[in-house]
Amino acid sequence: MIEFLSRRLVAALVTLVLATVVVFAVVEVLPGDPALVMLGTDARPDTLAALRAQYGFDQPLSVRYFHWIGGLLRFDLGASHAYGTPVAKLIGDRLAVTLPLAGLALGWALLVAVPLGVFAAWRHGRASDWGVRGFTQIGISIPNFWFGIVLVLIFAVTWQIFPAGGFPGWAQDAPRSLLSLVLPAVALSLSEIAILTRVTRSALLDTLREDYVRTARAKGASEGRVLFGHALRNALIPVTTVAGLIAGFLVAGAVIIESVFRLPGVGQLVYDSINNRDLAVIKNVVILFTILVLAVNLLVDLAYALLDPRPRVTA
Amino acid sequence: MEALHRRRLLGAAGAVATVGLFGPDVWAQAKDRLVIGMSLEPPVLDPTKNAAAAIRELTCPSVYESLGRIDRTGAVGPGLAASWTVSTDGKEYTFKLRSGVKFHDGEALDASVVKFSLDRLFAPGSTVPAKSLYTDIGKVEAVDSTTVKITLKSPNSYLLYNLSLGDAGIMHPKSAATNDKHPVGTGPFVFQGRKEGDSVSFAKFSGYRDAAAIKLNSVIFKVVKDPSAQVNALLAGDVDTFPGFQAPELVARLRKDARFAVVVGTTEGEVILATNNGKKPFNDLKVRQAMAHAINRKDLIEAESGFGTPIGSHFPPHNKAYIDLTGTYPFDIAKGKALLAEAGYPNGFDASLKLPPVGYAQRAGEVLASQLGKIGIKVAITQLQWPQWLSEVFKEHNYDLTVVAHTEANDLDRYARDGYYWNYNSPAFKAKWREVVEATDFARRDELLKECQRIIARDAVNGFLYQLAKIGVWKKELVGMWENSPTPSVDLTGVHWKA
Repeated sequence: MIEFLSRRLVAALVTLVLATVVVFAVVEVLPGDPALVMLGTDARPDTLAALRAQYGFDQPLSVRYFHWIGGLLRFDLGASHAYGTPVAKLIGDRLAVTLPLAGLALGWALLVAVPLGVFAAWRHGRASDWGVRGFTQIGISIPNFWFGIVLVLIFAVTWQIFPAGGFPGWAQDAPRSLLSLVLPAVALSLSEIAILTRVTRSALLDTLREDYVRTARAKGASEGRVLFGHALRNALIPVTTVAGLIAGFLVAGAVIIESVFRLPGVGQLVYDSINNRDLAVIKNVVILFTILVLAVNLLVDLAYALLDPRPRVTA
Repeated sequence: MEALHRRRLLGAAGAVATVGLFGPDVWAQAKDRLVIGMSLEPPVLDPTKNAAAAIRELTCPSVYESLGRIDRTGAVGPGLAASWTVSTDGKEYTFKLRSGVKFHDGEALDASVVKFSLDRLFAPGSTVPAKSLYTDIGKVEAVDSTTVKITLKSPNSYLLYNLSLGDAGIMHPKSAATNDKHPVGTGPFVFQGRKEGDSVSFAKFSGYRDAAAIKLNSVIFKVVKDPSAQVNALLAGDVDTFPGFQAPELVARLRKDARFAVVVGTTEGEVILATNNGKKPFNDLKVRQAMAHAINRKDLIEAESGFGTPIGSHFPPHNKAYIDLTGTYPFDIAKGKALLAEAGYPNGFDASLKLPPVGYAQRAGEVLASQLGKIGIKVAITQLQWPQWLSEVFKEHNYDLTVVAHTEANDLDRYARDGYYWNYNSPAFKAKWREVVEATDFARRDELLKECQRIIARDAVNGFLYQLAKIGVWKKELVGMWENSPTPSVDLTGVHWKA
């Protein structure tokens, strides 16, 4: 077990180091001059040059790379060029929105998808199975921003149960903050519910065809015991994998939903900093995402090991 | 109040339990609180550090005031300076400051503070974005505690206007360095806090010299970028107004709602088909004239849902020096084709159209591509992000055509600049513009401005399309919002809720 985990940990660290090089290179080749973005179309060449020197944009690439890595190692992410505030504070503030949002969306998706998938597998081939499959087809096809707008029109504009958007802040108004995440989480989770339902259903169907399930049935185990006691645990392995992938997507990919619901989340921060060429913010957020995805993958590996003893031995 | 009741009822119909605790923010309707929606977020909160218009909208003149003040008609009146005199040669300006003006942190305004602020604008190492507006200034002197004398290197008839812009907002030496995060000025509103990506809040400055004129106790600027989210924010009551609503296609929806007033006014934004005059075949006057004949402004304005006023030169129609030059090269496809053939392109040519990521440019771009296609110019559209547009089009001049709005006031001077991105070089215009800048008589200046408009219209430097409209949306009970947008600012003096 320890060897398995340490091997995974080393692999994650190597990935991280490679990621810093790639991220730095990509951010540096982005067309656009941050000084020009800040000073606009009336800026004089001397003013632009002075600003570039002030922010160190005129330094060689290698110096800037190691300066950044040095900062990362000291947990010093530097300051945003656009806002002037420390990057760590910016990201921290945004994660306070994005992580709960992703958590809610994933939690809700699992809560709906797993029972629905089990139900569909249990009713395999019957009308209710077709119903569930039809629903997943629709769920995957509907763009989440459109669904978000519809939810706002129904639940915020017409009925006014939920806020139409915005985020008051946990410290200012925690209940309202939680409430303002509900519609975006529902909008965000629709396609994830569809995907997870399908994965649960097909994984469970596969498992139900296994010999040991037939043995269990032959021994006279009840349908409930076969389904929940024998099959579901093994069927959950692919579900966990997909849920892990989705978690990474939910943290990084909520840009449009954040925009529809006016949530100051990490996705919006990345979008804005790309538009502002706020290089310090882009680099650090992308690396943070990399770390998050690597961490989620490690957790998924760990979950495998708990659900299924084989990887511990063979991996 | 009617809206409030209705909202409560609907909330109750939806879910009784949520109304008391989590119902919509009823305080948005309180009589001294205003929530203003903005399409763009200001990066820092200091106009001397960044060129973004949103900074000026939020902080000028609410936080930073200038020597003069631009009123809702675009005219300059007294600001922090109560009065001024100009020498007959137009090179010496003497400002008499108001007395008793205090900064939000309690510091007093005097001539030395003004000198400090103005010196920063044109100092050799200064990184102020609008520095070029102030480089005619030779020196600034504090004559006594309330008198400031500015001596120019050469006369500049726009100096007073430029000194009234937010760019020349008066800052105190003590707070200037931290104004980007914590703005401190002499204006009617004190910075309370900001949530990056979300909102910036202000409260009334009790020490303001004319505190009785300020009716709002609390002002919150909320950033809502997505147009449909803007409409939802208004409908749900989260935002009271969008002074500059950016989605003309959604205005009909708001006009139908009895709670809102939709007020259409003017801006200083000329939307042009900027043309690279330094590049073949656009360096040929006949080609540019052909393009001008191919442009049908009516269709372009229709694409903006009818918002906008046609222009025939680079000048706003509401300005009193404006002349209508839309007939210089009237819409005439046959004539356009003939001119193109005369120029040696009977079969037309290929051209690139690089568009910035703004709604009006996207809409106009599609229409223009089809209009130019009718005289044989095959236009390929490329979408750019702003930073790319700034580097590729604006700085490197690596483009044929682009669509952009020039939103600064008095921006005809761009046609006199060397190396500006459309590469227009006309000694006649430059000489005329010099006269405009050095004019000491404003009536004479207006005549010169008319001649300037004619020169660039005749030269068909760019495709002159239409003047952007300012679409203001606010609750009907809100009084005093500006109908027009003579400068990028949201002046809240006198704005209040109907009792």
